[in-house]
Amino acid sequence: MTTHDQPVPLTIALPKGRLLPKILEFFESRGIALTFEDRRLVAYDENGRFKAFLVKNNDLPTYVNHGIAGLGVCGSDVLYESGFRFFKLLTFPFGRTRICLAGRKGLGAETYPRHLAVATKLTRFTQDHFHSRGVPVQVIKLEGSVELAPVLGLAPFIVDLVETGETLRANSLEVIEKLGDVTVHLVANPSYYKLNYQSINRIAELLKESGE
Amino acid sequence: MTAKRRTLLQIPQGTEGFYLEEAFRHRRIVALLDGLYESWGYLPVHTPIFDFFDNYKPLLGDRALESVYRLIDRDGDLLMLRSDITLFLARQMGLALRAEHLPVRVYYSDIILRHQDREDISRNEFFQSGVELIGRQGEAADLEILLLLERTLALVDLRAVIHLGSHALFAACSAGLSEADRQALGAAIGGRDAERVAGLLQSRDGVSADYLTRLFLFIGDGAELRTLYLEGKRSGFLPEAALRELQHLHSLLEELSALATRPAFRVDLSEIGGQPYYTGIVFQAYLENQDSAIASGGRYDRLLEFFGFPAPSVGFSLLLRKVEPAIRDQGRFDRPTIERVEEESFAKAFLRAEELRKKGKIAVL
Repeated sequence: MTTHDQPVPLTIALPKGRLLPKILEFFESRGIALTFEDRRLVAYDENGRFKAFLVKNNDLPTYVNHGIAGLGVCGSDVLYESGFRFFKLLTFPFGRTRICLAGRKGLGAETYPRHLAVATKLTRFTQDHFHSRGVPVQVIKLEGSVELAPVLGLAPFIVDLVETGETLRANSLEVIEKLGDVTVHLVANPSYYKLNYQSINRIAELLKESGE
Repeated sequence: MTAKRRTLLQIPQGTEGFYLEEAFRHRRIVALLDGLYESWGYLPVHTPIFDFFDNYKPLLGDRALESVYRLIDRDGDLLMLRSDITLFLARQMGLALRAEHLPVRVYYSDIILRHQDREDISRNEFFQSGVELIGRQGEAADLEILLLLERTLALVDLRAVIHLGSHALFAACSAGLSEADRQALGAAIGGRDAERVAGLLQSRDGVSADYLTRLFLFIGDGAELRTLYLEGKRSGFLPEAALRELQHLHSLLEELSALATRPAFRVDLSEIGGQPYYTGIVFQAYLENQDSAIASGGRYDRLLEFFGFPAPSVGFSLLLRKVEPAIRDQGRFDRPTIERVEEESFAKAFLRAEELRKKGKIAVL
């Protein structure tokens, strides 16, 4: 097949932000060195296997969905919110975290009202999660600093990613209930995968190997 | 901005207008494809733009249900706009055909209307061109459709790869699962989620789960498929119906390798069919720089029966507007040079233009 014999680098979108150093370190430990020079958003690995783009975390699924990047590294929370369906090729051992329902200290799960008001960035997840449990939920979308919502009286509850719980504690909030886990994945646009499955499988196998 | 101005500038999701040279080119391409279908003995069909929703509801998968446009007529009946010509065609054919007409070969080139999300503007699923062979079962009919798709793509120089799978294989291997598990397994296979596929199969039998996971995630050539088939046969992991289907796919691939103009086919057992009405082979065509499959099809032997006329069918549809920008040698479909005729009187110019038109030229007064 001509489609996968061409020495064209695979395209991959990587998220800017806290995950990026972990991704680059993990890739490097498997022999894939990607170096983004200052303010440059595109980089090639030295063996010409990858052309990598740096994109905003929440925009990453859009780039992969349109096939601008054939592959992407992305958290399951962002993937879920996008609604796009990709092939999940690999789960990385880093970046794991929890999605939790939180509220002011002392508000337990038993204090759920019949109609839940929740502030969150994770609107699709929150709605689907509570609806699957038969709980009506009013979702207020926020873009950041979600923990301020109960403090300022916007909503009594929040749904957010919780790693250590430090930010919650600093705002007199606590986890009421863990709703789900977040993992970080290598994903592929289905059409791109089908055309390049041999090269992609080789890379996925390489990434699955134990690092040095 | 005024409300009127805003409405004027808005583009509704799921439809498009195109004009002048682009529309000219589109019609040229459609005419070329129609000519090909007719040279294979297919006759044109036109389906209604909308029909009663309840006729199709049981046949729509979750994704299709999300994307169909519904409306209510003056009598209060729920209608749906044509989102997939195969379904509308099945109902029309089910009403129009009789056993003595079979086999029937039909083709269509028409607009479809589906909702698409704002983020999905590159999908361009606005126009289907395709064929159906009604009343024929077996390898020859499957080959006819696969080769006609290959010739269709070759005619417009689209170097796509066709991934051939089987819904029948999936049905044979998932028999005995609950409907919920079967749906979950189908979604996991379609999404090539190896962990999930293995997890769902593990509950049946740990030993065969590994084999079945490899089977359903298999993409490869005839020789590799043969190895997988022999392993399934030796181990007894596969029911007889599944073995037969693997043999069928292998046999198809051998014929296609000999008859296709270029190596355009692969077996891909994660292709199990995106629509609930498939019963046999299923396939999708993929093209570089396209975000999703450009053509799809398969065998649906019970679809017409659903509309009252039992007849096996196999067909494909190509999302033509999606691939038009990728069609090479674009000059082939461009408008020829126009001759502007200027004479001292309109009558003279008209007669001169008529002469030019008789010679096949485009003459403008």
